[in-house]
Amino acid sequence: MSAVCWNCGGGAPGAEASGRFCTACKALQPPATDYFEFFELPRQLVLDPKDLEKRFYALSRQLHPDLFSRKSSREQEYSLESAAVLNDAYRVLKDPIARALYVLKLEGFDTGEQTTKDVPPELLEEVFELNMALEELRMGDTDVLPQLEAARLRFENMRDETDAELQTKFGAWDASHERNILTEIRGLLNRRKYVTNLIDKASHVPDRV
Amino acid sequence: MAYSDKVLDHYNHPRNVGSLDKSSASVGTGMVGAPECGDVMKLQIRVNEENGIIEDAKFKTFGCGSAIASSSLATEWLKGKTVDEALQIKNTDIVNELSLPPVKIHCSVLAEDAIKAAISDYRTKQSSKVNTLAEQTVA
Ligand code: FES
Ligand SMILES: [Zn+2]
Repeated sequence: MSAVCWNCGGGAPGAEASGRFCTACKALQPPATDYFEFFELPRQLVLDPKDLEKRFYALSRQLHPDLFSRKSSREQEYSLESAAVLNDAYRVLKDPIARALYVLKLEGFDTGEQTTKDVPPELLEEVFELNMALEELRMGDTDVLPQLEAARLRFENMRDETDAELQTKFGAWDASHERNILTEIRGLLNRRKYVTNLIDKASHVPDRV
Repeated sequence: MAYSDKVLDHYNHPRNVGSLDKSSASVGTGMVGAPECGDVMKLQIRVNEENGIIEDAKFKTFGCGSAIASSSLATEWLKGKTVDEALQIKNTDIVNELSLPPVKIHCSVLAEDAIKAAISDYRTKQSSKVNTLAEQTVA
């Protein structure tokens, strides 16, 4: 965020634009691009959803474009931009998984183009076997619904276990900001992705032949 | 998203689906996955140990149409190539052949990774075989 107000130039003492509004002329500043900064929160993986929601509604009121209709066109523009960032930021930060992926990105982890090297081979092996079993189930001519249901429950358990582990690691990172914890978190998020994929497949009732 | 005709063809008529004997010294197995979509791919080669030519290739992919097509095409290309030639196959070759759109590039990367993994598995097996032989000779 720029420390100099675009409007008054921050010439007067105390006229800093380090926040949303200039302390001197009160002009709206361009929105922070970092979602945590935007919400005036420290970068953290565990967030209180109630608190976040409160901030969201307060900011929605504060930044509503209607409030800027009689301000300069530049401020109107910033209010529109801010409203857009507000929505994006809220959507990402309120979801613990999206939030964690976002933090990984901020911390310089490449979450998009990952390769197999980031996935433990046992997990791949396991996911492959589970897919095989699922495919056999779905091709079976007996009534496979009970078995699919059982498989789905098992995967859901795996997901819940992963979530519990993630929760622990989230807290650990917030307390220490140690990079190797983020590496572990990325591994768990990958695992979670594979498992939720399996849940989707197991939830989809096979077509009757 | 529209798939190209070639992707659809491989998707509807995948070539070389199946598996080879994982424990055989002449078989290399590559198991890879794409974390962002949760897809997995297994690709295997059987190599003629005399001349290093890939005699058979099989795959099984749980994933999107592009991943299935990429691995199907890869197995077609692998057969008859030497192991060294096979290492030259790049994911961009697959992208071009199948006209994959940018969002599907990682699916072709998966296939390239699978080839590399299968070859390295084969080579590891071969060198450990040589080592065992050497140990036996020494002993
Ligand atoms: S979308 Fe995952 S491999 Fe294609
Ligand atoms: Zn100002």
